[in-house]
Amino acid sequence: MSQRLLRTQIPAEELIIAPGSTCQGCGAAITARLVFKVLGPNIIRHGIPACPDHVTKHPRQGSVFEAGGASLTGTARALKAIGRTDVKAVALFGDGGVYDIGLQALSGAAERNENILVVVKDNEAYMNTGGQRSGGTPKYAETSTNPVGPRSRGKEEPKKNIPMIFAAHYVPYIATASIAFPEDLMAKVKYAKDVEGFRMIIVSSPCPVAWGFDPAKTIEIARLGVQTGVLPIYEILNGVSFKLNYKPKELKPVSEFLKPQGRFRHITEAEINEIQTETTSRWQKLLKADELNQVIL
Amino acid sequence: MSYEVMVGNKATAVGCKLARVQVASAYPITPQTSITEYLSEMYASGEIPNFEFVNVDGELSAHVVAQAASAAGARAFTCTGGPGLLYMHHPMCETAGKRLPLVMAVVHRGNKSMQPDHSDLMSQQFLGWIHLYLENAQEILDTVIMAYKIAEDKRVRLPLAFGYDGYVLSYTAEPVEIPPQEEVDKFLPPYEPIPNILPDKADPESFARGWGEGDPMKPWQQHHEALVNAEAVIREVTADWAKKFGRSYGNGMIETYRVEGAEAIITAMGTIAGTAMAAVDNLWKEGKKVGLVKIRSFIPFPRKDFQELAEKIDAIGVFDRSCQPGMWGPSYHQVRSTLYDKEDRIPVLGFIGGLSGKEVRVTDIMKVGEKTLEAARSGKLEFPIQWV
Repeated sequence: MSQRLLRTQIPAEELIIAPGSTCQGCGAAITARLVFKVLGPNIIRHGIPACPDHVTKHPRQGSVFEAGGASLTGTARALKAIGRTDVKAVALFGDGGVYDIGLQALSGAAERNENILVVVKDNEAYMNTGGQRSGGTPKYAETSTNPVGPRSRGKEEPKKNIPMIFAAHYVPYIATASIAFPEDLMAKVKYAKDVEGFRMIIVSSPCPVAWGFDPAKTIEIARLGVQTGVLPIYEILNGVSFKLNYKPKELKPVSEFLKPQGRFRHITEAEINEIQTETTSRWQKLLKADELNQVIL
Repeated sequence: MSYEVMVGNKATAVGCKLARVQVASAYPITPQTSITEYLSEMYASGEIPNFEFVNVDGELSAHVVAQAASAAGARAFTCTGGPGLLYMHHPMCETAGKRLPLVMAVVHRGNKSMQPDHSDLMSQQFLGWIHLYLENAQEILDTVIMAYKIAEDKRVRLPLAFGYDGYVLSYTAEPVEIPPQEEVDKFLPPYEPIPNILPDKADPESFARGWGEGDPMKPWQQHHEALVNAEAVIREVTADWAKKFGRSYGNGMIETYRVEGAEAIITAMGTIAGTAMAAVDNLWKEGKKVGLVKIRSFIPFPRKDFQELAEKIDAIGVFDRSCQPGMWGPSYHQVRSTLYDKEDRIPVLGFIGGLSGKEVRVTDIMKVGEKTLEAARSGKLEFPIQWV
């Protein structure tokens, strides 16, 4: 598991392109900044269509949207064949390329335990194309392909449990993280950097455009996601050992996270209660897993 | 030199070994499957040092693994056929766009059946790859090595696909001469990626994809020019191979058989060329002077060769083992358009046969030759396209 990281241990060098091409308050840009600071320069960054993409100063290996996992595999195997395993194959992919169109290739890479690190900037919608639903979009969120109307309450299905899906490949390291907990995120990146095999860190990266909030509030929203238990942060080793990294004595009510967001402005008290019940029940399971130090699916 | 009796698919794998392929990735599909098994054996036995073989989740991943490995600095290989090739279509486009010298074997399986025809590779003809069509196992082994030399040439830097007929060649054993490794190493230098994307060696152009920089059509023009340049490189490399290893494949673009003194010529691609040679021999015995041109490189197309040949003969019968429904045969169109600018145009006939594995007999090709000869003598076309 990751070790606590002190602020003095955080490298000063910035590896993102600034000013970049991102919107104001872009959660994913913050993810990129924090992640690549820790990873340093000796990496090949992999990109597939994602928002934002043109974010760091590293050499970029780009590939087709649907095969990010294969692209990382090719690089990792080539580095092994040419004797350059000092260079790491790292990805910054979005939820679309991980939860949906790229799932097969990534599942293959995970099953083969390829020596790669996949960082997922999860903004819970297809933002490259302007805010359509993804498998990472939560229930009741309004997107441009789940408009609210007489027949629709927003997205009908819950967010896909992608960390557990990848944990079920029994890979060395899976973690969830949040830009509102930068030391935790960077400690996880630091740990994952040198682990051999398949590693994935899913970083909750709120998008002011998709989620509908004031760009000044990105960190606040991200923090509420964790504090309400909607977006918990945890680590899984080898698909078995489990550790919950943020455990408040009491969770904040989910309404505090939902209400400031435009994508949830239509939801009713009953729907909030439904989300609360779901969140509480999942949280109880996570607490139990943490106590047992074992994954509970 | 050593000899071994081997099937076409083994010739591919042995060719990869001799070419010192560093990363290969493939997904099994009939009739390509045994290549994946031969490569797996070569990995398991450790007989190729520092070789990585990746068993993936599908052809799309197979292609992208090889593509990324090529970009990252390893000589890379993949192989497929039929539907597997269609599944690779999207990343194939990107491999060509990135100008990566990836080499791919396409073991033909048609788009309408599991049996061979050329419709799989023909359906990829707009992506900007070099496409070669091969006839026998020896040609496969030799071509794998030549393919890397052509694809990696700085004047070219393009991916190359070579196709050969499934079953009839993939699974047929023939004696194959295996060139010594040290001679192959002298012929084919180690691979250098352009651009290099290793962080300590990276060229600035590999850092970002540069949306909206420069003339958006320029990469297309450069890509087109590289494919045009490929013709000279194919000729050079094939001639060099003949000099060093004593086996020639015509001028690399085409191979001709008994075209001297012929009144007409017919064309063929892949294994049909072997059958056509026998047909041509029979025709000459009957006093029918028909020569054969094997189209070895379909992309780039041997325009110059056909323009020169057309000076000497009176008609061409083009045999396609694929059909673009509603638009006839792909090589028929190429030959016809190549000859359009000539003042003294000769009849060009199109024949379509061998689709979905339908057997093409020597007598079928003899009829193709006879009909072409009739057109050569009369100067007339009754109907330009015929089903064989």
